[in-house]
Amino acid sequence: MMNRLCIVLVLSLCLTCTGTLFAKPRTEVKTPELTVRLIERTPEQIAAFYEARGFSKQMVQVLKAQCFLGVLIKNTSPHVIWLDLAGWTFTDQTGAVPRLDRTYWRDKWQALQIPMAHQSTFRWTLLPEKLDFRPDEREGGNILLPRRGHPLRIEAVFMLDDGTQQKPVKIRFDDIRCPR
Amino acid sequence: MKRLLFPLLLSLGLICSAAASPTPPEGILQLTPYAAPALTLSDIDGAPFSLPARPGQWVFVHFWASWCGPCRKEMPAIQRMVKILASEGLLVALINTAENEDTVFSFLAAHAPDIRALMDRDGLVTEQWQPRGLPATYLVGPDGRVYYQALGGRPWDEPTYLDFLRGLLKQTH
Repeated sequence: MMNRLCIVLVLSLCLTCTGTLFAKPRTEVKTPELTVRLIERTPEQIAAFYEARGFSKQMVQVLKAQCFLGVLIKNTSPHVIWLDLAGWTFTDQTGAVPRLDRTYWRDKWQALQIPMAHQSTFRWTLLPEKLDFRPDEREGGNILLPRRGHPLRIEAVFMLDDGTQQKPVKIRFDDIRCPR
Repeated sequence: MKRLLFPLLLSLGLICSAAASPTPPEGILQLTPYAAPALTLSDIDGAPFSLPARPGQWVFVHFWASWCGPCRKEMPAIQRMVKILASEGLLVALINTAENEDTVFSFLAAHAPDIRALMDRDGLVTEQWQPRGLPATYLVGPDGRVYYQALGGRPWDEPTYLDFLRGLLKQTH
């Protein structure tokens, strides 16, 4: 009896710990036009991925310090849907959170004299800034934000182009956290 | 009369040419043809390759990386397609994006041992082609222009894709 209680207690503690570390790791929003999945990456996942690609410790340390959100987008409509990250907003209780875009990273890596191959691989792991998603097309990549420790709200807008007019498709993610 | 005949024949020719274009299967975009970006690379053994490789032939230009999940899934299908179509005249340029020889060698040994990759060591050639993501495949016509682009990974060894590629090989632009 005591053993069983112990097992349940340990299991509950583990689940609680897991819940804290990997809280709500995947969030999905579906509209009639598209599906957007958000995956909150842990620093350990980030480090493991880039270390396996041969990235330097310096580069990995910089990346681990950021908030990594994996984004997977699928166009489920029969029309073209435009992604333009410039129109997305990221906010927390302190206000707007500036996205760390490709220009930021190019300057950062150049200042750190990171090899071109690693810069290239890093760029390919980012979500495209702009893309015309064709019917049934699926693409993904990471969005990077400074890690601030507060829950995030993400408001994304896509433009559906049915050939005659453009219609905005808005989605929102609330309570997004950057796991530590 | 000759003046009338010439436009008529030209129109007929254009209609026949359009009719001969094979219908692209799912996930293959037909593009407004444009000149293929530069492509001069060496393979994993140091042998050089550049486009146009052999004028008059279709070239399957494919960009990939070992860390990319859809690339891993797609590569065995590409190997099977290459085995079938290489003898029918399809040239294949498989370009690894920004990885080193050890990584590429290990990956291909496990997933596609018959394929020799071209090495885009710094990733700059890949960027000139402006893929939508990785993997990315372009079909370059005998005139050196890009005619088709694949969306993501495709089952290239399936009959619809093989038939489409065979249709291209029979066609001259």
